[in-house]
Amino acid sequence: MSSEPPALSVTGLYKKYGQFEVLKGLDLVLYPGAIHGLVGLNGSGKTTTLECILGLQDFDRGEIRVLGHGPRKLHAAQGKIVAIFDTPSLNPNLTVRQSLRQALLLSDGAARKPAEVEAQLGITKFSDFKIKNLSLGNKRRASIAHALLANPEIILLDEPFNGLDAGGVDEVLALIKDLNQKQGTSFLLSSHQLPYLEEICSHIAILHDGQIAASDEKSRLLGSVQSTIRIQTNDNHRAAKIIGQQAGLSLQTNTSTDILLVNSEKIGPADINRQLVEQGLAVSEIVAERASLDSLFRRITQKPNP
Amino acid sequence: MNLAVKGFIKALRSELLIARHTLGAWLVVLLPSVFISLQFLVVKMSETGAAARDSLLGQGGFDAIIANNAYGHFVDGLSMGLTLLGLLLVAQAAYSFSVDRDSGALRHLLIRCSSRRAVVLAKLLQLHLLALLAILLLIATSYLVSDSLWDFGPVVEDGFELIGEEEIASEIKLGLELALLPLPAAIAFGVLVSVAANSATQAVVSALGLSLVLDVFKGMLGEYAFYLYATFQPSLLDQSYLQDVGRLVRGYSDVLVDERFLELNQWVPLPALLILVVASLFVVQKRKV
Repeated sequence: MSSEPPALSVTGLYKKYGQFEVLKGLDLVLYPGAIHGLVGLNGSGKTTTLECILGLQDFDRGEIRVLGHGPRKLHAAQGKIVAIFDTPSLNPNLTVRQSLRQALLLSDGAARKPAEVEAQLGITKFSDFKIKNLSLGNKRRASIAHALLANPEIILLDEPFNGLDAGGVDEVLALIKDLNQKQGTSFLLSSHQLPYLEEICSHIAILHDGQIAASDEKSRLLGSVQSTIRIQTNDNHRAAKIIGQQAGLSLQTNTSTDILLVNSEKIGPADINRQLVEQGLAVSEIVAERASLDSLFRRITQKPNP
Repeated sequence: MNLAVKGFIKALRSELLIARHTLGAWLVVLLPSVFISLQFLVVKMSETGAAARDSLLGQGGFDAIIANNAYGHFVDGLSMGLTLLGLLLVAQAAYSFSVDRDSGALRHLLIRCSSRRAVVLAKLLQLHLLALLAILLLIATSYLVSDSLWDFGPVVEDGFELIGEEEIASEIKLGLELALLPLPAAIAFGVLVSVAANSATQAVVSALGLSLVLDVFKGMLGEYAFYLYATFQPSLLDQSYLQDVGRLVRGYSDVLVDERFLELNQWVPLPALLILVVASLFVVQKRKV
């Protein structure tokens, strides 16, 4: 963990919609310079969390501090925190350029020029188009351009990849990396797109049942996941017995399937292969599966609720 | 500079930029003037036809004298223009906050530079600036067009001056002042509906609907109507003093001016404005944006 004071901290956040308690004591910390992914099932409260952080919704209990300010006083941070929402949220009656001029008015001494940001986002040719006439992808690009004018310290993104084609996703990923590396911008990203988050994030938090079920540096979090080995032999039943007798190995599935999934703590696929062959089994497939955010996410969110 | 004031100024500048580039704001400023210009042309054409008929029949007299005097038309133009402006401002005010919440644009203001209350106050001020522009244009248009179609001067019948220009000007000034006093409250009413409504469509329909319903039913409220700011506004069912001014400047002597009505016209709109603004500032703190 970083020793620097956090750029954003959420402590014991509770939020109810009527009788439904969506957040039940959520804790989250975003350190300066981190790209923190917030993942969760649909309706788990990701957007609610972001809206509470941004002061757009009231919460029942808890404490939120962003760059030293409370959520209803974020404007005191004077443009150092911005957000990009899942639905592009710019005035539909303004053109892209007018919208960027508006962003300049909202910022204290914007560091960048609208034309420069338009070029960076590839929307120069749409400069005189009204926001309402743009495609979803270009609206999102315009939203990002709007956010970037003031060189913010923290950017919150809610589902930033929605509605973008593969090229658009690559552009956004490259932009996030670039801003993070060159300007030290911190990001809190909420998304369902686990592979993208895994690629880009330095930290991951998994929101489940109203709380952060797991949160850490990505490498540490994924390192905690047991690696899985996929095995296929000419006699899976016998293979399962042999594997079951080995310390450090455990079967994930029953032997009735064509594939054996083995949780391995210490023994690698080469050793398992050697042992199975020595016992006279023909191994047709043996693959070590990398621990992924997807597998960790599934494991956590498929646990029965306490 | 105080952060709250700074945030308010940023929000106001943003509102003015949006107003400059959106059709709705331009309509508020221009439409009343365009509408009364067309109205003047229609009236002039109708009067020209009537005058030709009277000339053929050898008629004329007092009706012809007052028809040719521009002051009556000027006041009619102001009255009709302010009626339309009142409705447009209510609709624009109702649209202003709710459309920003619908589109999500409001979030940027709240996160980056302003508190909710500062945004509401900025919108109120921007709407008042629009109203001021529209009123100045309306007065200028009404004066210039009526001057080009009719003649300004005292109302004289058979060599006897029924009402002099000085008195006409002072009545018009009073009528205009009294008609303008409720306008800020009408704007604040639109803003209150805007912050309370769930969508821009709901806000505009509710604000216009309530304004029209109030106009229709204010006659049934009896004495209580005198405590509503809307009673003193020029409207479709006009009870405002400006309507009386329209008759006074034409030389009619049967206009009964209710002094209590004039007094309430001066005192009721301001508390109404304050109540509506405070209610808007309270509601906006409670609503999800």
